[in-house]
Amino acid sequence: MASLQTAEVALLEQPVDAFDGLPDFTTESYKDAYSRINAIVIEGEKEAYDNYMSIGKLIPDQAEELEKLGRMELRHMKGFTSCGRNLGVKADMPFAKEFFAPLHGNFQKAFKEEKLTTCFLIQAILIEAFAISAYNVYIRVADPFARKITEGVVKDEYLHLNYGQEWLKANLKTCKEELIQANKANLPLIKSMLDQVANDAAELHMDKEELMEEFMIAYQDSLNEIGLDNREIARMALAVVV
Amino acid sequence: MFGLIGHPTSLKEARSKLKKLGYDHLGEGDLDVWCSAPPQLIEKVQVVNPQGKVIQGAYIDSCFVPEMLSRFKTARRKVLNAMELAQKKGINITALGGFTSIIFENFNLLKHQHVRNTTLQWERFTTGNTHTAWVICRQLEINAPSIGIDLKKAKVAVIGATGDIGSAVCRWLSKRTGVRELLLVARQEKPLQDLQNELGGGRILSLECALPEADAVIWVASMPRTLEIDSSKLPNPCLMIDGGYPKNLDGKVSGEGIHVLEGGIVEFFKDINWSIMELAEMEKPYRQMFACFAEGMILEFENCHTNFSWGRNNITLEKMDFIGKASVKNGFSTLNLKNQLQVTVA
Repeated sequence: MASLQTAEVALLEQPVDAFDGLPDFTTESYKDAYSRINAIVIEGEKEAYDNYMSIGKLIPDQAEELEKLGRMELRHMKGFTSCGRNLGVKADMPFAKEFFAPLHGNFQKAFKEEKLTTCFLIQAILIEAFAISAYNVYIRVADPFARKITEGVVKDEYLHLNYGQEWLKANLKTCKEELIQANKANLPLIKSMLDQVANDAAELHMDKEELMEEFMIAYQDSLNEIGLDNREIARMALAVVV
Repeated sequence: MFGLIGHPTSLKEARSKLKKLGYDHLGEGDLDVWCSAPPQLIEKVQVVNPQGKVIQGAYIDSCFVPEMLSRFKTARRKVLNAMELAQKKGINITALGGFTSIIFENFNLLKHQHVRNTTLQWERFTTGNTHTAWVICRQLEINAPSIGIDLKKAKVAVIGATGDIGSAVCRWLSKRTGVRELLLVARQEKPLQDLQNELGGGRILSLECALPEADAVIWVASMPRTLEIDSSKLPNPCLMIDGGYPKNLDGKVSGEGIHVLEGGIVEFFKDINWSIMELAEMEKPYRQMFACFAEGMILEFENCHTNFSWGRNNITLEKMDFIGKASVKNGFSTLNLKNQLQVTVA
């Protein structure tokens, strides 16, 4: 059985509140990192809008509902644009476009092939879980202006996740195999996207480890909701390990 | 429904066990993967007490491993996320096992009541410390006489006397058991003096001075791996009850007349159909468990949906009486030396 090192015992006795401080939002290094993180968030919301509009074309009877969701994403985009403006930061949009390119490419391919399951996995599960996890972590370390906006966005984002879940849940019998395949191809992209922004996120006091954990929680929750059991999800999550 | 939040005893152990249970992601994952892993509701279980009352329960693995103790933010997240999951699953009363309650207490997690969109309801959780303290006291009362120690004439040292469990044990031993003398050992002087005043007795000593005098020693503190005990200086006979977590006393002391008993462990009167207790390395995993876990079950059996054990130094003798009585009634007995079970009647 495990036992404790002296240092660990000592650590258990330390007050830990000192580690919870907010970053200095005015430094150049903060603003520099923010220009990329903010751009990713703005681009992510725009991608989400485009994706929901695309999915609407594949299921025309749901197009109106999906357009509503898409418009919500556009509102989020505007909110986040104002967060950057508030800090005097210009978002680095070319960086963000490149950042999303692989996932964007996979979505477009699936859309052209009319692979609705893959489209939903990418947008309604992976991108939404990625966004929710980032926002949940960001809220804890954001400036007061951005915090308020992000809190509002998170509420909406939980709605989107449910929408994609509902469709996949209703169609699980026929879409499970494609879901698993699509996950294998796309989950590693999320991992590498997180790796790419780890340093910038750290500048904003967002831990990579915490971001990944929040993502896995949202990812696991939504797959659970769809009807997969914990072991199936663990097998799917293996795609981030190997 | 009752819940248990537990965790593996090491990363190595965790990976092999979770792989066996079909959790490939965690089975293959290194420490980084575990640090980012969500809590898992591993298994649901049904338990029936001697009166035939049936309750349902769930075991949640927080995916914490002791290797994370040096990463306090990670440890904190693991505990809060597991508690959030328990609440989201609608569990009435969840016991915080292993390091979970230690982290909760020491990292002051009361300040972190909001986890994502969940506000944790503290009344749904218990540290299980009241039952643990009662079980340890009973273990002393039952086992000391069996190796020739007359408690009325014995000096009993409590290592970690000022902690939540330690102080409750001291209260019970001085008011109920009536030992000859209590030797109080802890790191900080002020809480020790407060405890001594409260008890109206007991002698404050260093660990080194207490051990050669103590006929029985109750360990309820985390012990550094570097701690060494000179067995030749201990009285013969000597009963050592290892009530701390993790339990690592066994390898430190041995010798004629020295009896080491794992403290705070109970045995249910019949097998429980769960696989998860193998993780806790119990000798009889289908019956034995930490007393803190059992407290969750007892509270569910008794429809006592409240944070029965909560905060520090709130354990009263009345609470110990209540949980002790309910423990026996619901089919639990204490672990004793040589695994000879005795009916524990308080």
